[in-house]
Amino acid sequence: MRKPKYAIGFIILVLVVGVYSIVYFKLIGSPHKGNNVTVVLKSMNVRLDFWQAVSNGAEAAAKEMGLELVVQGPLQEGDADDQILILEDAIDRKPDAIVVAPIMDDRMPAMLDKIRSSGIELIVIDTPVDMNPAPVVVSNDHEEAGRLAGQTAIDEAKGRPTVAIIGDSADSRISAERLTGLKQAMLPYKDSLIGMYYADNSEEQAYEVAKRLLAEDNPFNTLIALNESATLGAAKALKERNKSGVINLIGFDSSVDEIQLLEAGVVKAAIVQKPFNMGYLGVKTALKLIHGGDAESITYIESNLITKENMYSPENQKLLFPFINNR
Amino acid sequence: MPKERSIRIPLFPLKSIQSNISMAFSLLILAAIVVTSLVSYQVSVAAVERNSQGYIEEIIKQVNTNIQSYVDNMENISLLALTNKDVKYYISDNAFISAEDRRTYEKRISDLFQAILYTRQDISSIMVFGYNGRFVSDRRITNLNPNARLQEQAWYQLAKSASGKSVISAPHVQNIIQNEYKWVVSLSRELKSTDGITAEGIFLVDLNLSIINDICNNINLGKKGYLFIVDQNGNIVYHPQQQLIDSKLGTERISEVIQAPSGSSFNVNDGDGKRIYSVQDTNFGWKIAGVAYSDDLIASQDELRNSILLYSLCGLAISLLISVWLSHRLSKPIKDLQSDMKQVEKGNFDIQTEIGQMNEIGQLGRSFNLMVSRTKFLMEEMIHNQENKRKSELLLLQSQINPHFLYNTLDSIVWMAEQKQHEEVVLMTSALAKLFRASITKDQELVPIRVEIEHITNYLLIQKMRYHDELDYVIDIDEAILPYKTLKILLQPFIENAIYHGIRNMYGIENGLVTIRGRQTDDHIVFEVEDNGHGMTPEQLGRILQRNEEDNRNQGIGINNVNERIKLYFGHEYGIQIRSEIEEGTCVTITIPKLE
Repeated sequence: MRKPKYAIGFIILVLVVGVYSIVYFKLIGSPHKGNNVTVVLKSMNVRLDFWQAVSNGAEAAAKEMGLELVVQGPLQEGDADDQILILEDAIDRKPDAIVVAPIMDDRMPAMLDKIRSSGIELIVIDTPVDMNPAPVVVSNDHEEAGRLAGQTAIDEAKGRPTVAIIGDSADSRISAERLTGLKQAMLPYKDSLIGMYYADNSEEQAYEVAKRLLAEDNPFNTLIALNESATLGAAKALKERNKSGVINLIGFDSSVDEIQLLEAGVVKAAIVQKPFNMGYLGVKTALKLIHGGDAESITYIESNLITKENMYSPENQKLLFPFINNR
Repeated sequence: MPKERSIRIPLFPLKSIQSNISMAFSLLILAAIVVTSLVSYQVSVAAVERNSQGYIEEIIKQVNTNIQSYVDNMENISLLALTNKDVKYYISDNAFISAEDRRTYEKRISDLFQAILYTRQDISSIMVFGYNGRFVSDRRITNLNPNARLQEQAWYQLAKSASGKSVISAPHVQNIIQNEYKWVVSLSRELKSTDGITAEGIFLVDLNLSIINDICNNINLGKKGYLFIVDQNGNIVYHPQQQLIDSKLGTERISEVIQAPSGSSFNVNDGDGKRIYSVQDTNFGWKIAGVAYSDDLIASQDELRNSILLYSLCGLAISLLISVWLSHRLSKPIKDLQSDMKQVEKGNFDIQTEIGQMNEIGQLGRSFNLMVSRTKFLMEEMIHNQENKRKSELLLLQSQINPHFLYNTLDSIVWMAEQKQHEEVVLMTSALAKLFRASITKDQELVPIRVEIEHITNYLLIQKMRYHDELDYVIDIDEAILPYKTLKILLQPFIENAIYHGIRNMYGIENGLVTIRGRQTDDHIVFEVEDNGHGMTPEQLGRILQRNEEDNRNQGIGINNVNERIKLYFGHEYGIQIRSEIEEGTCVTITIPKLE
């Protein structure tokens, strides 16, 4: 007599659980759990537009994906000690992923290894690092930027480029990549590269280098400056020597000074990165890794070529002046 | 008609009706609750969506009003400049103004602009450019950007082509003043001379874009929702992800927004999720679009779903209990009837099932009761008939005079006649005659004890005359019991047994004694037939009691038959008891009721 009653109870229970689980998962769908992503930049200094734009991009992605975001970074750009401390702290908080723009330092590879061994997804942005296995990287395509600069030089010189290059240092990975791209673009033009000069990260040294180059009896029609300080230093020398219209100066990165030089025509063209996109794609890639999806081992972000003519186009305005709120 | 309907798998392959009913109920209830909770969930979601959509429209209207008020303000400032005599003179070609006068005009206009700017934080600059090359701004000293050509500025060209109407530019970086790069929205307008025909200059008011930016940024349309503005050409005025759209990392449904009329909304469901676009037009050509994600709108979607789940589970539990109870109630009469039927199966015909309600089951119970009582009646009748038949059989059996006895008695009579013992012959013959008469009279089964005593007296008289000294007998009957009724020929078989099996076998012993006693107790009459013969072993006794009818031929009338007769007539509590001891004798006790 009791047995069938239990059987009914059991069948009903199974039915109820079955129906409700179908309703719960199929028709309504399970809600996404909020993921945690920490972004560690080279600097959080509000005066550094580049990193602020990266931060904005990361925030845009976080809002779109609905995840918890923490953006941190040392106050001084290049403060490796501080960045390592910040990373240690971030690891302790156990986020799902850490997006880091690593400052070059001997301790950094070990630090990045530690992130990975803590079971946190690691995404490297901006500066590629040597690690085994290679981390997922979201970076500006510096080689492509170099090619762009090279191509511009060729175009501006009407196919007869003779190019002098001022970079920061032989160790700089970004400069090296830009140079590689540049050389690739210049490959069809033998003997067009007359010299490679280093000026560290100093506007003053770049100015001296440019001045010396102009004084030498070694004609060249294009000067390519691989970073902002070199661009500014070279521009100063060109203006002094009244060579602004004669020698095509092609620079990298942007600042108000560089914008004015572009307007004045001293700088012929500037190759400008898209830091907002880097922050955005960095966080988006992090989310992909968290959900176990396949992420490209390296995501390149293109650069834009800015000239006097196109600098006030809606798109480039936004690139050159990323912040609407005046500070 | 289907021919093969032998095997039909039932809908609910369960054994009891209760299980089937409760199963059916449960399934129905489950289905009903699932459907209603799903429907109510969908309905509430739709309601919430509708509400939030109205709410979003309100917000966008609010944003529209806000932005409109800033634009109106710029418009007012431009009207102020338009009507200002100083401005008119200053840019007028005809006006004859010396260089020194110009300075005072400049100062007056600049002061005016400054005063305006001072009260309005949202305005970043106010400027007038005369076609005569003069210009004045809100700054005391205005250094124009030498690399920015005035005529190439979009706002300048637009104002010129609009000839006197004010135009609103797209957001742009204002680079006309040296070292200043501010994001602004420009309102510009061509200024006419007093005659209203000749164009004399361009007036410019710049609104800080941060104002619009802040307004839009502070709008919260759920976690992921946002607001964006496009101008009539589809250029983005404000979009939180403008850079992504510029670099083709993101897309926006700008063409759809441009085509959508003011106050309308449309749904989009693509890889980025289901969302609603609400569009509002501004007076000056911009379109404000609010984008809200459906899953964001219903902030308490989980809560809603969980509460619906909870309530429906509670409802389900309660209704399942009710269904079990209901099915129990429905099936209980059937179960009761079933258990009563089981009783009948076991042979209990006294049962009458209880009839609750006069529904189908009640009628079934009534029919059952009817059937049982009818069966019981028939069975009792049959038993009664059988008993009667048996009674008459037994009577017939016991009424028979043992032929040996008859022969022996007649032999004795002949012998006595030869001896010329006339008196004894007469006595014995009359006793034999009485004995016969008693056994052939068929009138009644029950006779007074008196008649039965006369019968055994006759019998014992004959036997005494045959056995002389070998047999003695005592009849000791309570006078009071003589009127009571007893079965005919009740005692004779026991006396016969006592003589033939008890006493006759004791060779050489002279004084065999048969004692017949009759007395009454409160309810019963008890007879005892005792002999002092040689008795029986317990085994023999056992055999006698088990002896059946077949033995009767040899053993006379079986004790069992007498016992059976007593029980048939008087019931099972009556009957005989035998106690016997070897070499001591046997005593048979016969108990019958007192019958008047």
